[in-house]
Amino acid sequence: MAWEYSEKTKQLFMDAVQGKPGTHLGEIENPDGIGEHGSIACGDAMRFTFRVERDPRDPLRDRITEARYLTFGCTSAIAASEALCTIIEQESRTPIEALQIQNDDIVAFLDGLPEQKIHCSVMGAEALEAAVYNWAQKRGVDLSSLGIDLHEEDEDEGRIVCKCFSLSEPYIRRKIKELDLRTIADITHAIKAGGACMSCHHKPGGLQDLLDDIWGPQEGVTRSAAAAEPPLADERGGGEPLTAFQLMRRVDGVMRDAILPMLRADGGDAEIVDIKDMTVYLRLQGACAGCAGAATTLKLLVERTLKEQVDERLRVIAVGV
Amino acid sequence: MIYLDNNATTAVAPEVVASMQPYLTTAYFNPSSAYEASRGPAHAIASARGKVASFLGGVRPDEVLFTGCATESNNAAIFGVMRANPGRRHIVTTAVEHPSVLEVCKEAEREGARVSFIGVNHKGELDVDAFVKVLQPDTLLVSIMHGNNETGVVFPVADLARIVKETNPDIIFHTDATQSAGKLRLDLNDQLSCVDLLSFSGHKLHGPKGVGALFVRRGTRIRPFMCGGHQEGGRRAGTENVGHIVALAEACKLAEAYMESENAIVCLRDHLEKALCERIPWMEVNGAGTDRLPNTLNLACHCIEGESILYQLDAAGICASSGSACTSGSLEPSHVLKAMDIPFMAMHGSVRFSLSRFTTAEEIDTVIEIFPGIVERLRRISPYWDTAAHAPRG
Repeated sequence: MAWEYSEKTKQLFMDAVQGKPGTHLGEIENPDGIGEHGSIACGDAMRFTFRVERDPRDPLRDRITEARYLTFGCTSAIAASEALCTIIEQESRTPIEALQIQNDDIVAFLDGLPEQKIHCSVMGAEALEAAVYNWAQKRGVDLSSLGIDLHEEDEDEGRIVCKCFSLSEPYIRRKIKELDLRTIADITHAIKAGGACMSCHHKPGGLQDLLDDIWGPQEGVTRSAAAAEPPLADERGGGEPLTAFQLMRRVDGVMRDAILPMLRADGGDAEIVDIKDMTVYLRLQGACAGCAGAATTLKLLVERTLKEQVDERLRVIAVGV
Repeated sequence: MIYLDNNATTAVAPEVVASMQPYLTTAYFNPSSAYEASRGPAHAIASARGKVASFLGGVRPDEVLFTGCATESNNAAIFGVMRANPGRRHIVTTAVEHPSVLEVCKEAEREGARVSFIGVNHKGELDVDAFVKVLQPDTLLVSIMHGNNETGVVFPVADLARIVKETNPDIIFHTDATQSAGKLRLDLNDQLSCVDLLSFSGHKLHGPKGVGALFVRRGTRIRPFMCGGHQEGGRRAGTENVGHIVALAEACKLAEAYMESENAIVCLRDHLEKALCERIPWMEVNGAGTDRLPNTLNLACHCIEGESILYQLDAAGICASSGSACTSGSLEPSHVLKAMDIPFMAMHGSVRFSLSRFTTAEEIDTVIEIFPGIVERLRRISPYWDTAAHAPRG
């Protein structure tokens, strides 16, 4: 893989790492707006801060005078951060005007980005939005009264669709519409969803279903049957021992109705790998996987819930942590 | 240019180029033809087979098959053994194999095999307990790499093969020795005498791309992977790539001579490792403290991303590689580093320097001079790094 970057991208990157005058590396102390996007686990992350010249009477007339970034990521992630700050400072925009800067503008400023690097420009636009949201809160500006629909990241909480990058259904839906994403490849290039294990592409409630739901099913694409199973009736109570089949059904039901919603609320997820006798082999996924402390806590939580609701002889063995 | 990506491919040695030239020009004849002129190419292949057999510790020449590359050798080994032994369906391999074994094993799963993927610890060492426990009555094949292409970690293949044969002599043991060939002694009559199948290729030891070899111990139950010709005793059909086969043998001969005469690579690698570790805080050596290939140094720099390191190295004329997500073509970091469970702060900041016998001390000194500055500059940009404290934030 040779470098597929434009000269502009390469130049901005090299200027940035060498800290040339006029570049925007850094973090503003006590900023008027701060926004972050990405995480180190996902491979790129940006912290964006700006300072405004405050208008004494009308915060909407605040003008951005200084923009800075700290970015962890590849060549194009750093160049895109530099591009964002340059664009913003050029015209001393108000924060609301700055919102007009979209990831497309960053791509254009860089004279294009390779397809698989588009997410670097989206990261810049996301961090900007988050920072403007933060400014609005500090300055008491009611964005919704201006017809601006900005979200804090926690407002995107919900069912995790892409476990590898911990991306929720509300977030992916919003981005599909905002960035006019039409295919799974578009989604992956823009926000990375579905770019690692790919298991969320075509499963019920997965990326294709979200696309079909928003844009209507495409010709020739069969919609997966996403019909949810009816919840299990609570059959517990009788003293009869459970058969192996009943036990599995019961464990599965408690997982679906009680345990998974709890894990998913924290960006985690789990799947049953196997049930042998009274042992449940459980693989933890998403945000909680890979963190040994969280894994132990969650294992105990799952085990306690299963003991209480199904059979106290059950034990849980965490797999793959 | 300073080329430190020799685990990806190597410069073709001048002697090797010279050895193959006649078969690309005047001696182009098909070795299977009847006329006198084709005897030259036929003899050249026989002589090459003898040299490779000697390189592998003096095995029988008919135990050496020439293939198109190490990937083909690995495919031929795994699928060939599966086809010859349909009664047993269990395969054991590791989580850190090269894709040409890992993906082939996953394909074998789709064809009905059960595959056990043995994990490694944070140093990259194989979980031998798990390996022992997983061997089953219907285990057919164990495929475990010799030296890891990313970290250089060397698995105790001789010992693992012995355990396998003591457990059940019918289990076939394959090893992918692509990275160790030319760097470690491969003696299939002595320390590797329990290995049945061994793959390697030409272009990792200063031979050309497009040629590989598969050692098949006499008596091993295996079906041909490519059918449709009598070449290689009917075990690998297709007109022989004479020039490249001759070149592979020449490359093996040179590598053998080099291993006997000196071992300068390991000194240069150790010097590079020590100097960089002294100069750069919060950097780990992946695979440190365990047996490694003499030429490989895989570093994990906390708080920065490997692709932006590589770009700056390239701008300074230094070729290296990284296991970071941004260089992999997918969005996931290297499966090897993930299997080692290295800290996630460092997972994306890996850089691999792989040396060769052509690497000079001056080149290593240049890297020692340039690399710390690259890391420092990227850390100044990183939101996870505290420049004043010279440590990760928080």
